[in-house]
Amino acid sequence: MAGTNFQTAGPVTTAAAASAGARPVILRCTGIERSFGGLKALKGVDVEVHEGEIFGLVGPNGSGKTTMVNVMTGFYPPNAGRVELFGRDITGTAPHRVAKQGVARTFQNLALFKGMSVLDNILVGRHTHMHPSSLATLFYWVWAQREELAHRRVVEEIIDFMQLQDIRDEPVDVIPMGLQKRVELARALVAEPRFLILDEPMAGMNQEEKEYIARFILDARDERGVTILLIEHHMDVVTALCDRVAVLSYGEVIAEGEPHATIADPAVVTAYLGARAAARHAGIAVQQQAGQHTGAGA
Amino acid sequence: MIYRRAGISFTRYQDERQLWKLPTDRWAVIVIFALLLVAPFLVDRLFVVGYLLPLIIWSMAAMGLNLLMGGAGQIHLGYGAVIGIGAYASVHAMRAGLPFELAMIVGGLASAVIGVVFGAAALRVKGLYLAMATLAMQYIVDFVIVQVPAISGGTQAALSVPRTSFLGIAIQGDRAPYYVALALCAVLTLFMLNVRRTSFGRALAAVREKDYAASIIGVDPFRYKLLAFWVSSFIGGMTGAVLAVCYYRTISPDQFHLDLSIQLVAMVIVGGLGSVLGGFLGVGLILFAPIVLNQLIGLAADQFGVAIPTDLRAHLPLMLYGGLIMGFLLLEPLGLAKIYSNIRNYLLVWPFRHARQ
Repeated sequence: MAGTNFQTAGPVTTAAAASAGARPVILRCTGIERSFGGLKALKGVDVEVHEGEIFGLVGPNGSGKTTMVNVMTGFYPPNAGRVELFGRDITGTAPHRVAKQGVARTFQNLALFKGMSVLDNILVGRHTHMHPSSLATLFYWVWAQREELAHRRVVEEIIDFMQLQDIRDEPVDVIPMGLQKRVELARALVAEPRFLILDEPMAGMNQEEKEYIARFILDARDERGVTILLIEHHMDVVTALCDRVAVLSYGEVIAEGEPHATIADPAVVTAYLGARAAARHAGIAVQQQAGQHTGAGA
Repeated sequence: MIYRRAGISFTRYQDERQLWKLPTDRWAVIVIFALLLVAPFLVDRLFVVGYLLPLIIWSMAAMGLNLLMGGAGQIHLGYGAVIGIGAYASVHAMRAGLPFELAMIVGGLASAVIGVVFGAAALRVKGLYLAMATLAMQYIVDFVIVQVPAISGGTQAALSVPRTSFLGIAIQGDRAPYYVALALCAVLTLFMLNVRRTSFGRALAAVREKDYAASIIGVDPFRYKLLAFWVSSFIGGMTGAVLAVCYYRTISPDQFHLDLSIQLVAMVIVGGLGSVLGGFLGVGLILFAPIVLNQLIGLAADQFGVAIPTDLRAHLPLMLYGGLIMGFLLLEPLGLAKIYSNIRNYLLVWPFRHARQ
């Protein structure tokens, strides 16, 4: 709680959040604390993600979003607190075990495997469904070929879904970054996760590429039934895609609930813009609300 | 032009994933393998025993090391020791009465077990520190082999390999060892080629490129690094057995010292990390460049009547050899295999220039 100069508002509860509450909880983090040396990156964060929703995790730079995701996926075991996934305690479980529970994620900075083709990168994503072994490699024609081809078909489905057909055989390091991000999303989706974490999937993209990715994210949820946790800085994307959002600032959740209302929360505006700008913004917001009643949904 | 790709299209994933996609490549492999098969009947026995056999056996070693270095991205400066363990274990097994087929497995397992014990300790560190840790393995194994008479028979002793046979063929004379080594090398080559198109190889490559990204896909990085050590050491041990039985026939500790490890690393790097073909090319260059250079310089000296001092005459090939390695690596850091693939890509569309890389 040290050094916070803004008033912490209680979580914004709206009708949307309440209806999401009826769905089963997929991920429940309670009281997550994590520090690096003297820096307290997370100070008792509580987050709940419900099945079938797109949950936004936003906040200014350095507010602990990526740390939070790293705690969820087992990269950083929390100093205190508990992570439950599908009702099972996974606190401190190694990432590869978390992956086997049906979790996939993408990284803020691309984490594709250079020196491999787009196809091979996506094929690695099938790892948890395959049975890799050196003996099967030796007796490829007897043991491995059938499995390889079966999984190739699954990969081709994802390639069609993500529209990556024409770069399938390219080395992954020569394609443009927008496409690389898409390949990484394909690699995560091909694992058939139940819970997908996207860490800034649209960083550094132009408007058109952003719209593509936004469409893929919605399709992944609607067609493949994946629950998604989205970290994103583009507020237009967050409000358009997310069912609920939580706002982190200095390692604490300062607001949570329906996106439009949460983003407009005075504490959130203060966290992003500072107290003075927030006061001005509050004035504008009041005027706007007086002017238009119909929600300007995307 | 030479490698025609026009008109070749695949309608099944199976065809698209085959080892050699172009008919030209398939023919090249068939022709080279056929030539190797008939070589003992075509060329002088000295050529077979002195050049082809070492090329085949060291290629096996280079492939084993390449699985670890090129496949999983882990450096190993003690691979000579791994081969030594396999050689000693298998020779002792054969002296105890085991057939060669089993003794080879024993050698492989001995290397794999010891390699993994060292690997498990060494893999807690990365990069240069891993190099140092594996270097320690080299020295410890050297020391143990020399100092324990039960293994080496003493410091000065050489252990002779008993007469043995492989699948009913007695390994004696010049041709039998050559064919045994060739057969095993062919199997190993197929394994190495398959690594690149199976989930096993992809998992290794994922660990090599970005271990944190691999782990969230479900690949346990430590397990796969260890697995790479296991398989690579197993191959090293088997190679040691083949080396002892088919080539050396008498083994002594000094055959498996650090210089062998360094030479193997050089073979892998000069050939091209992660490339099967590169393994063969690298071994060829490292083994034969000194010999060829030596003869060329001798020939040139005689031809042009230049009186080269004898010590320069002895050292010049080595200097050129060092220059050659550096030159190839400057020209193409990815090794001889990459040079070959550049030429091949050029020829794929020759006389046009727009090759897909």
